[in-house]
Parts: sequence; structure tokens; C-alpha cells
Amino acid sequence: MLNYVIKRLFLMVPTFAAISLVIFVVLNFAPGTPGGTAATGEAGGQDASTAGEQRESYRIFKEQFNLDKPVLFNTRFDLGRPEIEAELSAILNESGDVPPARRIEAQEDIENWGRYAVPGLLSVLSDTSVSPGMRALASQRLTFNAQRQNKNVFKKNLSDEERAEVKAIAKANAVVRAWSFKADATPEAMRDTTSEWNSWFTANEPDFSYTFGERIEIFFFDTRFARYWYNLARLNFGVSHVDKRPVLQKVISKLKYSITLSFSSVLLIYAISLPLGIWSSIRQNTLADRVVTTILFMLYSLPSFFVAVFMLNLLTRGTPLQIFPTSGFESLDTSQMTLLEYFKDVGWHIILPIFCGSYAALAALSRYARSGLLDVIRSDYVRTARAKGLPESVVILKHAARNGMIPILTLLASLLPTLIGGSVVIEVVFGIPGMGSYLFESINLRDYNAVMAVMLISSALTLVGMLISDLSYALVDPRITFE
Amino acid sequence: MSQPLLPDVAPPEDQTFGDIVWLQFKKNRVAYCSLWGLAGLFLLAIVAPLIASGRPFIWDAGEGMLFPWFSGLFDRNYYENPVDIFFNLLLILAVPSALFAAWRYRSIKAIGLDKRPRRARIIKEVRYGVLAVLAIFVGLLFNPHSEAYTQYADIVEARAEAGEATTAVFPPVRYMFRKTGFKSLESPSAKHWLGVDESTRDVAVRLLYGTRISLTIGVIAVGIYVTIGIILGALAGFYSGKVDILIQRLIEIVMSIPALIIILTLVAFLEKPSIFHIMLVIGLIRWTGVARLVRGEFYRLRGQDFVTSAVALGFPPWKVIFHHILPNAMGPVLVAATFGVAGAILLESTLSFLGLGDLSAPSWGQTLSEGYSSGAWHLILAPGFAIFITVSLLNLVGEGLRDALDPKMRK
Repeated sequence: MLNYVIKRLFLMVPTFAAISLVIFVVLNFAPGTPGGTAATGEAGGQDASTAGEQRESYRIFKEQFNLDKPVLFNTRFDLGRPEIEAELSAILNESGDVPPARRIEAQEDIENWGRYAVPGLLSVLSDTSVSPGMRALASQRLTFNAQRQNKNVFKKNLSDEERAEVKAIAKANAVVRAWSFKADATPEAMRDTTSEWNSWFTANEPDFSYTFGERIEIFFFDTRFARYWYNLARLNFGVSHVDKRPVLQKVISKLKYSITLSFSSVLLIYAISLPLGIWSSIRQNTLADRVVTTILFMLYSLPSFFVAVFMLNLLTRGTPLQIFPTSGFESLDTSQMTLLEYFKDVGWHIILPIFCGSYAALAALSRYARSGLLDVIRSDYVRTARAKGLPESVVILKHAARNGMIPILTLLASLLPTLIGGSVVIEVVFGIPGMGSYLFESINLRDYNAVMAVMLISSALTLVGMLISDLSYALVDPRITFE
Repeated sequence: MSQPLLPDVAPPEDQTFGDIVWLQFKKNRVAYCSLWGLAGLFLLAIVAPLIASGRPFIWDAGEGMLFPWFSGLFDRNYYENPVDIFFNLLLILAVPSALFAAWRYRSIKAIGLDKRPRRARIIKEVRYGVLAVLAIFVGLLFNPHSEAYTQYADIVEARAEAGEATTAVFPPVRYMFRKTGFKSLESPSAKHWLGVDESTRDVAVRLLYGTRISLTIGVIAVGIYVTIGIILGALAGFYSGKVDILIQRLIEIVMSIPALIIILTLVAFLEKPSIFHIMLVIGLIRWTGVARLVRGEFYRLRGQDFVTSAVALGFPPWKVIFHHILPNAMGPVLVAATFGVAGAILLESTLSFLGLGDLSAPSWGQTLSEGYSSGAWHLILAPGFAIFITVSLLNLVGEGLRDALDPKMRK
């Protein structure tokens, strides 16, 4: 048994890695821009300098979140002059027939290539045979692309060494930033700037030539996925793209709501569905059984968001009744309440969400319980128990139910992910600030790190749930072993 | 004098497995009626333009007689969604193809074949018929036809005011689901049976056309995932060994990602999801159940004699898989697919309820979400019951099918 558990736990690691890869790839190749549209810096109608500043802050934003990196594999060490020149001419649009989408893409590409584009840009800049406009653009791009990333600039409590490094990088970047010219500059000015760049490049040569080992490293590790996993291995889910707070902290702060909600739902589901299933199975084919079965079936087919909206409208909005609060997990001001009052307040708020979130599972589970018991109730050992003269209650509860309920018990494990993940729809409708509505908000705001974190956590819980489900079979049913 | 070896009794009726299941299914009154209910729903989806359309069947405004309703059926300017074009095609073809089918049936019967070859013949011809309809549909998709948008009902009024007579024969409702301009949130009345929604559109007509969207999403999404599930499950179950391990891992990976969350995210991240994106996303995520089911069935059937003999006869693996084993494994898949259609319809309504669906399609969930934001009762109850009825009919049929396939339930 222990061996089996250990084996399964080891198998979980590659599975989890694959899951994270799938989710990561899906999220990163999905269209849309991280951080929502506000961060793109596409400011229409503003003057050039503000637009340029916004562009630059967007570039730094991408750099900080590794969004400038390729998703899985990085081949940028091989960037040569032809690729650079193609993008530059697309941006310049000298022929006037480049579609706007392609121009934006070219600009993004050059921006994302960062320092990998420096040799190519420099070669365009130094080539006197290309048009002055192209050379000017290359010099302007160089002032951005040649800058080094100042990783620790947003970090708090820097050590002295780190502070010195931050300062040095900022200084070097400031120097580089000045060396650009416009298309109508004099040939002398162009020549001077070009020679500045060339001497800078010779001084920094080692930064731009990659050994074989470095290439392999860049290919696999200078990518979004590798960077993400590097952080994930330290349980660092990154910070929210939206408000720059650590995602894990936010998720934990939401757990309280979701767990309260789901835990009470699960309790309710089991407390009602097991007795109900047993009750209706021992009255099989009576009128009462038929009525209960029909009602359960209808509940099972009722969409939960419909019931939620129905209840909300009926009981909270004063059309016609106003018994429960419309939304939220607790009243606005809970500071004056005693503990008992607080529990009452929370209970009052979550009665409806719990009902709407659990009736479907309740119906399904009762049906399972009923058919589970019907499967065993005619078996020989139950007849033997009756023949022994045991009272009916003992026969049903102790002999039949224990066996018939095995499938139900293992279903508990499949409820584990929803226990944490919460129900998106119910939480959104009733305004419960739990994980479900956090996920929904994050999706709408394109907050990749938050969505990733919620998905990864619930996937991990599903894996654990599957393991528990398999193990609980063995625990309940001695006939099943893993040897 | 020869003694008959067997007593002289009538040979047992030639019953296929399908016959037995069908007879068993028919005995279940509720499930059988639900099947008819579903057929009715499907019919309603097909005849929607006969009930509500802004284009008159016959139109004469002094410039000769026109038939805008017919010419507009495949108008991409009027019916933007390919789903509507498909259902309109079915509507146009319904009567001619029924007549044609009746004629073919009679001529096949006249050949005097036995039961099984006759059935095979019918199935073959039906297959050709379906392919022909699909070919016409694809042809229509690639040759979009569009007409200028004309407000016929308004023209009639304008001409009446000017004292000119217009001959116009309209469908009972003179507008379709996109028509706006009614009184926002008006309660149900004789004019608008289910009232008007927040965006000033008629709810009844939207629900009517929404039937098309829901049924299509359910059927196609399930079609996609049943196909994926059958192929992967069959490969895993037939080959076992390394292929099985690989596919099992894949199933485990996809199963561990909570389906609703990833579908929600994917659909939200598509800039403008159409209902086809939604079908595709549902289809690509939810195949794991079917794959596991098919794999189990293949494991069960693989060792049986008919498979061994098929392999021994030298049939290629694909033929053994798809012609010999798969037909015997389809029962549970069919049950899962029926429940799956209900699930897919629920999922799509959930998505559009959360505002992530196709905004141009008249989805039931969209109307319900307007009910949530406005609190108008008719916007909550009407779409809610539409979803509820469709989903319960499908679930009832699924249950009936499961019981009919279960040998334990047979008497």
C-alpha cells in the first residue's frame, strides 16, 4: 500500500509538469494581450513623446513579466541581419503598402528580441549603402534594444551590492540611450554615432557571442515557460499583472470564502443524499419512491445558474420578497459583531449560494445511493442476514448500506477540486469574493499569472483527489489491494 | 420416410441487436415520449423562419411579384450565422427529400430483399443523401449570397399611409431575432408572447431561433469529442502496451485540468468567440470520458472469438477496429453522447450567461443574463425553462437508452 502511494506520488510529478505545460502553452498562444488593453500603450491621439514613454513603459512591463520571451524555445541567438532588416523595413513602410497589423507586429518583434537584435541592428547601422531612414531607425532601436534589464529595480530592501548594480546598469543604459539620430541628420553626425556604437560593441563583444553551451541554455531556459517553472519550483506563482501583488497571497485570501461555501455544501449533500437514497431504495417502486425519484431527476436537470438567478430575484430583490441579502459573504461592517452574530450573519448570506451550489450534486448523489443500495439489497449475504433474524434496520444500515455506499464514498474525492476551486457561476451570481469569482475577474482582465495559479492549484487538487479516490476503494473494500 | 430432425416450428424472427434495444426503449413510455419531444424541438428549430421572419412570402409593391422569403433563406446579410443557413437548407429540402425518400423506399422494397440486406441498402442510400445535403451546405457556405437589407414591414406601413396598396403575405410574426426597437423590458402580452428583453428585442423569437443554436452546439461539440474519444480509446484498447500507456497519460492530464475552468478561460481569451469556437473548445476538452469508455469496451471485446477470427482472416487493423469491434462498443458511447449533448447545451448557456459566448447568436443563456441584470421575471423564466426542458428531455432519453441497453433490465 505504502509502495503504491509512493509510486503514485512520483508519477504525479511528470503528470503535473505536463499539465502545467499544456495550460501554459494554451494560455500563452491564446490571442489577447496580458494585463488587459490598458497596458498596451497604444495611445491614439496623444503627442509623440507621451506615446513613446508609454511604449517604453510597456516594454519594461513585458520585460519584467518575461512576456518578451518566446513561449517554449528560444532561437534568438541566431538572429541575423536579414530578419532585422525585414522587420525594420516593415516598420519604415517606405513602399507604403505594408498593412498596419504587420507594422505593429514588426515593432513588437524588434522590441521583444531585445539584446539578441543588437548585432543585426548594428550591422544595418554601419552599412552606408542602406537608406538614411533605415539607419536612423536602427540607431533609435539600438538605444532601446542595447539597454540591459534592471531586474532588481522594483525590489524592496536592496543590499548595498544590489543597489550599486542597479545604479551601474541605469547609468550604462542612460549612456546608450543618447546615441541616436534622425533620418535627416548630417553624414558626419551619423558617422560619429555609428563609431560610438561600434566602439561600444567591441567593448561589450562577449555579451553578444554565444558559445554552444550558452546557445543550449538560451534555447531551453531563456523562455517564458522555463522562467515560470523556475519560479513555480519555489512556490512563487508570480505577481498579478493587474495590481502587482503576489498571486498566491491573493488566492489564499480568497480561500476562506470558497472553503466555507464548499465545505458546508459537501456536508449538506452527504447529510441529505445518503439517507434519502437509502430511504427511497427500500421503498422501491412505491408511490413515495417514484415521487422522490422524479423530483430528484428534475433537480438534476435544472441548470444551477437558472436556479441561482431565480432564487436571487425571488428572495433577495424585493420582487416580491426580500428575505436574504442580495450579494456578498458577510455584512459590510462586521467589526461590532460578537462571534455568534458573525456566524449568523455569514450563514444568512450563504444559505442561498449553498442551496444553489449543492442541489444538483445532492440529486445526483441520492440517485447513486439509491442504485448502489439496490444493487446489493438482493444479494445472498443480505438474505442471510435477514434469515439470521437480524432486525431490518441492522440489515439495511450495517450489511447492505456499507457495501452499497462504496461508490458514493469515493465520489467525495472528486469533490475536492470544487471544494477549493469553488463554483464560478454561483460565486459570480451571488457576489461571493471567493476563488471562482477571482478566476472570473482575472480571466476578464487577462491576468495570466492569476489564471495560471488558479488552474494549476485546482489541477493539482484533482490529481490528489484521484489518488484519494483510488485509495479509499482499498480502504473501504478489503477485496481490493494494490499488491 | 424421413423424420424431421427439428419440430416443425416457425423460425425465430430475425432480430438485430438494434431491434431488441429499440423495442426495449419503446416500452419505456417516458423516454419514448421524450424522444418525440426532442424531435418536436428539432422541428421547431427547422421551421423557425416559417413562424418568424421579416421577409414576406409574396411581395408586390407595384413592381411585379417577388418572393423575398425564399430568396432570403440563404442570404448571409440576413442570416449571418451558418447554423441558420444549415437549418434553412433543411427546411427547403424537407418536403422534396421526404417525397424522394418515400419513392426510394418503395423501390427498394420492390426488389424483394431479405430484412438485413434491405436495411444495409437503406443505410447506404441514407448515407449518400446526408452527404449530398452536406455538399450543398458546403457549397452555400463558400458561395455566400447576400441581398440589401429591406424592412418590408415598414415599407408596407409607409405605403399604406401614402394610400398605395401593397400585396404582402408575411409569416405570423413579421420580424426575426435581431429586430430591435420594441419597448425595453415590456412584459409578456398578446403582441410579444414572452415579452421584450433589455436590448428591445422580442424574447419569444429569440428563444425560437436559440433552439437552433443550442441543438447545434450540443450535437456538434459532442460529435467532435466522441470522434476524438473513439479514436484514442480504440487505439489504447486495441493495441495496449506502450500506446495504451501514452494515451492513458494523455487522458489523465486532460482530465486533471478542471473542464469548466479551462473552457471558460479559452473562450474568454478568444477575442470574438463564435459558436463554432465554443463547440471546438468543448469538443477538444471533454473527450476523456468517451475515450475511457471505449478503451474499456475494447479491452472487454478484444479477446473474443469474432475478433480473433477477424485478425486471423487477415483484415487490416483499422478494419478490425472500426468494422468489427467498434459497432459492438457503440452502445455505452451512445448513452454517454446523449447525456453529453445535454451537458454541452448547459455549458454553452453557462458561458453565454457569464457574457463569454457568441454575442451575435440568440443564445438562451444571454437572455437569462439580461434577466439577472434587469431582474425582469419573464427574462428569467422563459430561457430558464427552455434550457430546463431541453436538458431534461435529453437526460430522459439518455436514461431510457441506458436501461434499454442493459441486459439486466430486459424481461
